[in-house]
Amino acid sequence: MPLTFPHFGSLKYVFVSLFHELGRYDLVIPNKPSKKTFQLGSRYSPEFVCTPFKLTLGTFIESLDRGADELGMGGGHGYCRFRFYWQVQKIILEDLGYDCSWIRIDYESTRDIIQVMKSISVGCNTLQTIRAFQIGWVKNRLTDLTDQLLFKYRAIETEKGSSKRIANEAFKLIVSTRKMSKIRKLQKTIPKMFAENVEVDKKANPLKVVVNGEIYVVLEPALNLDIYKRLNELGVITKTPVTLRRFIDIGQRLNPFKKMDFQIANSYGVKYVPYRVGGETQENLGDAVLYKKKGWNGLVHLYPFTCMPEIIARSIFPQVSRETDMPVLSLVVDEHTGEAGFQTRLEAFVDLLESKREEMLKKRKTKIASH
Amino acid sequence: MSKKVGIPRALIYYKFATMWETFFTQLGATVVVSPETTKNVREVAIEIAPDEDCYSTKILHGHIMDLKDKVDYLFVPRFGSKHKTDMGCPKFIGLADVLRSLYPDLPKLIAPHYNVAKYGHTKFDFFKEVLKVGFVFTKNPFRIIKAMRKALKADKEYKKKLIIDIDTLHLWEQSAILLNIPPDEIKDEKTLKIALVGHTYVINDSFCSLDIRKKLQSYGADVITSEQMPRELIDEQLDKLENRLYFEFEREILGTIMYFLENGGVDGIIHLMIFSCGPDSLAGELANRFALKKQDIPLLQLVLDDLTAEAGMKTRIEAFVDMLRWRKEKHATHIPTLRVS
Repeated sequence: MPLTFPHFGSLKYVFVSLFHELGRYDLVIPNKPSKKTFQLGSRYSPEFVCTPFKLTLGTFIESLDRGADELGMGGGHGYCRFRFYWQVQKIILEDLGYDCSWIRIDYESTRDIIQVMKSISVGCNTLQTIRAFQIGWVKNRLTDLTDQLLFKYRAIETEKGSSKRIANEAFKLIVSTRKMSKIRKLQKTIPKMFAENVEVDKKANPLKVVVNGEIYVVLEPALNLDIYKRLNELGVITKTPVTLRRFIDIGQRLNPFKKMDFQIANSYGVKYVPYRVGGETQENLGDAVLYKKKGWNGLVHLYPFTCMPEIIARSIFPQVSRETDMPVLSLVVDEHTGEAGFQTRLEAFVDLLESKREEMLKKRKTKIASH
Repeated sequence: MSKKVGIPRALIYYKFATMWETFFTQLGATVVVSPETTKNVREVAIEIAPDEDCYSTKILHGHIMDLKDKVDYLFVPRFGSKHKTDMGCPKFIGLADVLRSLYPDLPKLIAPHYNVAKYGHTKFDFFKEVLKVGFVFTKNPFRIIKAMRKALKADKEYKKKLIIDIDTLHLWEQSAILLNIPPDEIKDEKTLKIALVGHTYVINDSFCSLDIRKKLQSYGADVITSEQMPRELIDEQLDKLENRLYFEFEREILGTIMYFLENGGVDGIIHLMIFSCGPDSLAGELANRFALKKQDIPLLQLVLDDLTAEAGMKTRIEAFVDMLRWRKEKHATHIPTLRVS
């Protein structure tokens, strides 16, 4: 039974290698979502459901047409409706006449992840499953690293497209490497690959903008209209602290000496929202404080239309922005988002950041002169 | 002078009104509940509330504006959940923070947090939160405990009165009794039975729901609402779904629709949805698909938001009721009744 899963940015590579590790080679790797995927998804979706529902449904329909009949999705119970997606999608797909079975993972419980993975694996025992899972999370660290490097190098590269090429090579390397010791070595190899093969403009003084928001929108380039590329082309270094590792990187979560990014961001965010409300609300709010301290110039907050937790974040962001003097641009994304409007707003935001930086420099100069 | 505590008449106030009012009166506070939603409240709300919030949450902002100059404290609890898996809406938890952030000049907010599903709160945690709220008004812990007991008791009685038992429901389904007293002018007509399904804060807010309850009654329909349904039946119906529907307030809505679709018993179902309500979008879709598979009970889904025109809605409701009446008469004449000799 060919297995498939929603397209999820560069996490696609992690999922593929994870399933390979579990002995599942009968995968239907989802295509990059296109306009047609959006159309398919929104045709059969409820009217005002959030956009990830429509996109994942569209991806599933396309994958089912290509021969898949086992679908992987998040399940369980939580704050927002994501965990209930599969139930509705199942009934919609049944009505459309597709015959498929579902694998649903309660991704917040490690025990459930391992149990489900064991049940879908080809003859893996528990230890082997845990080992495969470990390879999954270590590879996720690598894909995050590759993304981070790509978003940095693409802004300052001299030859257009060279960093993207290296990133694709790195992703290929990540998927094809099987041995744990070799995977660990990639942590050093990948930065070296970028440093050696991408020529950078050393005189450039790029702005730095952090992108965060709802996880699916932030990580899926088809949904966020490839905001990283757009920002990079405007000469801005970007980064996203949002990652699935928050749920699956058990190694780092158990490490008492290291705090994960989201934990640090959370400690700043509790000032504004003291209790967890689901999604990445607290972390997103905390990021504004954290990255201001780190010296970043601005923050772009992305969320899908009608997303419940992120609307809370969006309502509080003006206050955070005022208090920390961090420029914040909140962008709502759905299937009707126009590219031109999106681009214009990003350009305006970058212009604003630039003028702000110049003003700061002028102030500093006059201060030094007056001393 | 006693302290004045303001409660906005919106969202979960409709669920816990008795409990909260009893508690604060017992503590010696003056409870000020904002008046019913009016056009004015809505206009204020639409102007100041965040654009993407759902209609009901927007209305709350209007009520807060109405209250803010009249009271010393505002009671906006962060209600997470009271079940080990079922959640409220994330917006209820973040509401107090959003209000504080948007309007810094608000009176002091009393916002206790209670969340069993994700924070694992126990009864003792609940008690601690109650004490924290109580100490704002009195220094005597025994008075707080007494007030809490009375409030919980009042809530229990209110629920007992509101939720009908299975026997009553079956009697109603067989048209043996009426749940509401019909208006005088239509006493002789044959009554239709309609299930009115939706969030408590939509059905009971006569302005938001366009006074649909009264309208239906004046058309000669006896209405059962989703909040009146026995919980056992709802749980039984929702167990048919593979994934537990983990939205506490949505459970009664989808459960009621599924129950009536399966068992008949009503002539029609009206589902009031709120625009951009998260749980409603999924449950509404499920209800829609279930209804398509079972066509003997008509289902009317109305989406309400700030742009809803009353005349258009009225026409649709009237047409729906006419259709139900016509169906009922047709069935009565064309389908021979079984005779047992």
